[in-house]
Amino acid sequence: MTTDPTWHDAWVAGVLVIEDDDRIRLSLMLALEDEGYSVRGVSSAEDGLLAQRAEPADTVLVDLMLPGVDGFECIRQLRRDDDVPIVVVSARDDTHDIVAALEAGADDYLVKPVAVKELSARLRALRRRGRAVLSAVSTLVFGDLEILPEAGEVRVAGAPVALTRTEFRLLCELAEHPGLVLTRQQLLQRVWEYDVGDERLVDVHIGRLRQKIEDDSRAPRRLVTVRGMGYKLAR
Amino acid sequence: MRRAGLRTRVIAGFAAGALALSASMAFISYELTRSSLLAGRERATMRATAYDARIITASLAGDRPDVLAVLKTLDTGGNRRTLVRRDGVLYTRNTDPGAADAVPAALRRLVEQGGQGAQWVRVDGVPALVIGVSLSPTTALYEIDYLRELDQTLRTLAWVLGLVAAAVAAAGAGLGWYATRYVLRPLRSVADAAQGITDGDLSARLDPAAEPDLARLTASFNGMVDQLARRHERDRRFAADVSHELRSPLQTLAASASVLHRRREHLDERTALAAGLVVEEIERFQSLVDDLLELARSDQPARRAPVDPHALARRVTEGQSLDPGLVEPAGDDASRWLVDRRRLEQILANLLDNAIRHGGGPVAVRLTCVAGTGRVEVDDEGPGVRPADRAVIFDRFVRGRSAGARGGGDGTGLGLSLVAQHAKAHGGRVVVLDRPGGGARFRVELPGVVP
Repeated sequence: MTTDPTWHDAWVAGVLVIEDDDRIRLSLMLALEDEGYSVRGVSSAEDGLLAQRAEPADTVLVDLMLPGVDGFECIRQLRRDDDVPIVVVSARDDTHDIVAALEAGADDYLVKPVAVKELSARLRALRRRGRAVLSAVSTLVFGDLEILPEAGEVRVAGAPVALTRTEFRLLCELAEHPGLVLTRQQLLQRVWEYDVGDERLVDVHIGRLRQKIEDDSRAPRRLVTVRGMGYKLAR
Repeated sequence: MRRAGLRTRVIAGFAAGALALSASMAFISYELTRSSLLAGRERATMRATAYDARIITASLAGDRPDVLAVLKTLDTGGNRRTLVRRDGVLYTRNTDPGAADAVPAALRRLVEQGGQGAQWVRVDGVPALVIGVSLSPTTALYEIDYLRELDQTLRTLAWVLGLVAAAVAAAGAGLGWYATRYVLRPLRSVADAAQGITDGDLSARLDPAAEPDLARLTASFNGMVDQLARRHERDRRFAADVSHELRSPLQTLAASASVLHRRREHLDERTALAAGLVVEEIERFQSLVDDLLELARSDQPARRAPVDPHALARRVTEGQSLDPGLVEPAGDDASRWLVDRRRLEQILANLLDNAIRHGGGPVAVRLTCVAGTGRVEVDDEGPGVRPADRAVIFDRFVRGRSAGARGGGDGTGLGLSLVAQHAKAHGGRVVVLDRPGGGARFRVELPGVVP
């Protein structure tokens, strides 16, 4: 309903690659350019932040182990500026690192070595996430929580809340099925377009969402966990 | 025979010691009491007999005295019987019919020869003291003292002392139980700490101040755990470093390979062939590294969470470009399993991969739950697995015989050993069976999928 089948050819997305390993950066740039992206590469978080401020890319790929400012801090600073989709591409597959990177504000986490086809699929999914999904409905109301899908706005008790695209899309998926439990796997498929993915993505994003829309994120009333099942948005 | 536990042995020792002590004390007290009571009684009876002897001697001084009348005048109480043998005739009171037989022959002979004596006998089960006195060459006096009450008293005393001995032995056992419990308590905290370490908590330590007597054990235990934690941390860091150092160049290789692959038409034939080999081998190398790293950390416990096994199996089947209809529909058993999702996913993927490589493709995937144990079965119609190979097929780097030719896109040789590791992480196992109608059936059993 939303995607133009020829978007891939018609629209060349800008990708910023922040990677200190010259060979990895060069190879990723070559491969992504082959996939049709316009790619810029920098070797440090400082350069990446400057480049993103000077000329914003549509998506940022970031490594975690960077000289100087590390990947986690880089994600936090990028996130402070805007809601640009951030994908971590790291050789670290430790749970702590994955959760910390997602909590810092990353939208997705890929462990090296990632196949270019897979990386490209993730970037496309991220781009689609930015688009409105519920064109038919103008406003969804859950108590004092208002969702305006077309405007891409969320208000809690009348005050607007800034959500990233992934958080917004996650909230919309839950809002589309009021009172219904969605499993982590369902959310992974619908929001991240993973067939089989890491459920920590969902959990951390739910946590981030709660911090923004709940009065007390440790005692959630709106976005509730159904033990052993998944999540639902309480009516 | 199994050796009894330390605790049982200590309790038994305490009980045996207490029993030996209390039994010998009881025995000695009984014997002392008994001999002193009997000696007292003997003296009293002797005195009474001497008194009676004087009366009878005096009464029989005249001619033709009435022995029976004399006997009747004696105050003998309830326990004493008096017999007089005079000129071969035995006189006794009518009321004492059995008394005559009570006098032992040896005593009678002694008395008839002019002597006197005392002898312990048992009459109708009752102990008695027989005293014989020669009053004159033709007259003998016998007195029989039945010790019925005394016997009863001694019997009661024996009972009481026996009971006391048994009670003391039981108390000894109780003391042993208490003492071992008290002594073993610090050992229990050692056991708890060791269990915690087994379960992966390497921060468990013993408090050296808690039990000064066990200071050496505490110190060496804590030292051992420190060592273990250091080694564990070193291993973990090494695995993380290896992981990082292998993954980084692989990323460059994977991305560059994709560029080569995309431009293969622009390459001349020889270069394209070589590039194709590089691309394929990089893929294989990548899965080998993935499997090796997975294997290196597969000794961690399974992280169980509820999973819909059939939906997962269908997705994995689709992911391998197979018909999801291979997954047999769920019966009415548990629709959700408590398993480690990632591990179950790999079990399914590796078994399917194995069936594709060595079994001509899977023909059925079954997930059932029998008595709380999840059972994953993948069937193929291939040549099956020879009994000789069944023992080694789950070892690392063992590849199927059908792949002996080592054609293109061979597996890593780690897939089935990963399946075995994942099953083990759930406390289960994997076996290979003959499929009815030909082919192999791999069965993974995962206990505890239903809480």
